[in-house]
This record gives sequence, structure tokens and C-alpha cells, in this order.
Amino acid sequence: MKLSKLQHWLRQIYQTEEEEISCSECLDLVSHYVDLEIAGESAQEKLPRLKQHLDQCRVCHEEYEVLRDLARLEAEGRAPTLDELRKSL
Amino acid sequence: MKPRTNAEWVRELTAQGDEQAAAIADLRLFLLRAALYAFSRGDLTQLSNHEIDQLAEDCVQEALLAILKHLPEFRSDSKFTTWAYKFAINFALVAARRERWKGVSLDQLLEDASVPNWSLQDKDTAVTPDRAALQAEVWATLRDVINQELTDRQRQALKAMVFDEVPLDEVVHHFGANRNAIYKLVHDARRKLKSRMEARGFSVQEIMHLFSVEG
Repeated sequence: MKLSKLQHWLRQIYQTEEEEISCSECLDLVSHYVDLEIAGESAQEKLPRLKQHLDQCRVCHEEYEVLRDLARLEAEGRAPTLDELRKSL
Repeated sequence: MKPRTNAEWVRELTAQGDEQAAAIADLRLFLLRAALYAFSRGDLTQLSNHEIDQLAEDCVQEALLAILKHLPEFRSDSKFTTWAYKFAINFALVAARRERWKGVSLDQLLEDASVPNWSLQDKDTAVTPDRAALQAEVWATLRDVINQELTDRQRQALKAMVFDEVPLDEVVHHFGANRNAIYKLVHDARRKLKSRMEARGFSVQEIMHLFSVEG
């Protein structure tokens, strides 16, 4: 087993909280979190429990990253067109 | 497509007739963009372009139904499109994971849920004998707690997700559960591991230093 992988998992164990938000609550909050980030505000400070969930949940984190990147492209006026996306697949 | 404010999206999606139909048609295009963008980030090379288009359309339909259902809960604490995208991205990535894992049987992976006694050594990372001994002690303690103190289902889910890198969605699919239930199952397992490790005197700083890649 890779040490880096074990270290990541150990960090997750030690960062475990007694109460954590669920994946459904994460989905509820993630768009707010992403738009705070895009606005340059401190999303981590405003929504710390969401950040904690994202650090623990690989699938929610992956969905957050895709949402963040697409919303950022849109905010910058660079969102890909459907044709561009189909060509990239 | 006309630009809309959050309030305009909500008003037009809840209107009647042509106004609602136009808003839904425009929203579909946004959702299709999100689904295709999500697919473009994952490995779906086993599917033809036609199959990907079909899968994207299915995700758009599911996302649209979810959005119309949850619309009364939209609080305008984000852009409407960011709020809407998350539904399409969620359905698209769940579908993409399903496609990638549908040929893999989890029965065998989950049948033997004991954690193997793997070597901790990275080929390219040299550690002193003392450090290696301490690492082995921590790893043995973790294995002991996992094998002796977790429930069968906690052990199965943990082994699949941490050691075999199975996505949570696939464990959900296998157990016939939902995401919240499996997340809670693993959360409870982490809580138990944390308390047992602390009870045995392993501090956070000590463990992080011991396993730091930098050394």
C-alpha cells in the first residue's frame, strides 16, 4: 500500500467529527459554496461543515470539482458549447 | 437564448403555457452542457458517441424532474444555473461511475472483507528501521481494530472504498442502500477507528509525521 494513500486515509480518520453532514446536505449546499468561491469569498469559513464533508467523501468531492470548474468557466464567459463538448468526448 | 435573473428563472419555470415551455427548453440546454461537461472529465471510452448522447439525455431528464421538484427550496444563495448544474452533474457522474463499474462484480471484492497485511513500503521511499517499525505498529493496530471491532458491513464498505477504491455509489448500488446510509456507515467506522487509535496513545501529530511522504 502506498504510504501517501495511507497517510491520506489516516488524515481522514483523525479529521472525523462526531457529527458530519450527509451527502444530501452536501448537495443542498454545494452550489452556494461554489459561488462563494467564485466571488472570492471564504467559502471554507462560511460553510466549514460542507468543506469537512468534501474532504471525507470522494464522490461528492468529484461532483464539487466539476461544478466549480463549469461555473467558473461560465462566470468568465468561457463555458464550452455543446459542439465543443461533443468533440472532446 | 435570453439571459434570465434568478427570479425570472423561477417565475418562468412555474408559469404556464409557452412561457414555461420556453424556460424548460432553455434549461434543458444548460443541463445538457453540464452532463456532457461531466462526461468529458471522466473515462467513458467504452461508450459510442451515440450512447453518450443518450446517457446525457437521460441525465438531463432526471435532473429536470429533480429541479422542478426542488424549485420551491431554491433560496437564491447561488446563481440559478449553478444550482441547476449540480443536479445534472450529480446524475451524470453517478451514471458514469455505473458505466465504468458495471462489468465488475463486487460480490468477490466484498466476500473477503479482512484487511490484508500489505507491505507499507514504497519502492522509492527509504525509511529508517525504527521508523519502519513504528509504521508497522500503527498499521497493525489499524488492521486489528478493523478486523476485530467493526461490524461486517462497516468492514466491507471500508475495505471496498479505501483499499479497493470502489466509488461510494457502487457500494450503494451493491447494498441496495442510499448514499446517506453508506456515508453514515463509513463515518461510524471512522469514528470508531479514531477513538481506538487515540485510546492506544497514537496522537495526530505523531501519526502524520510518521507517515509523511516528505519524511
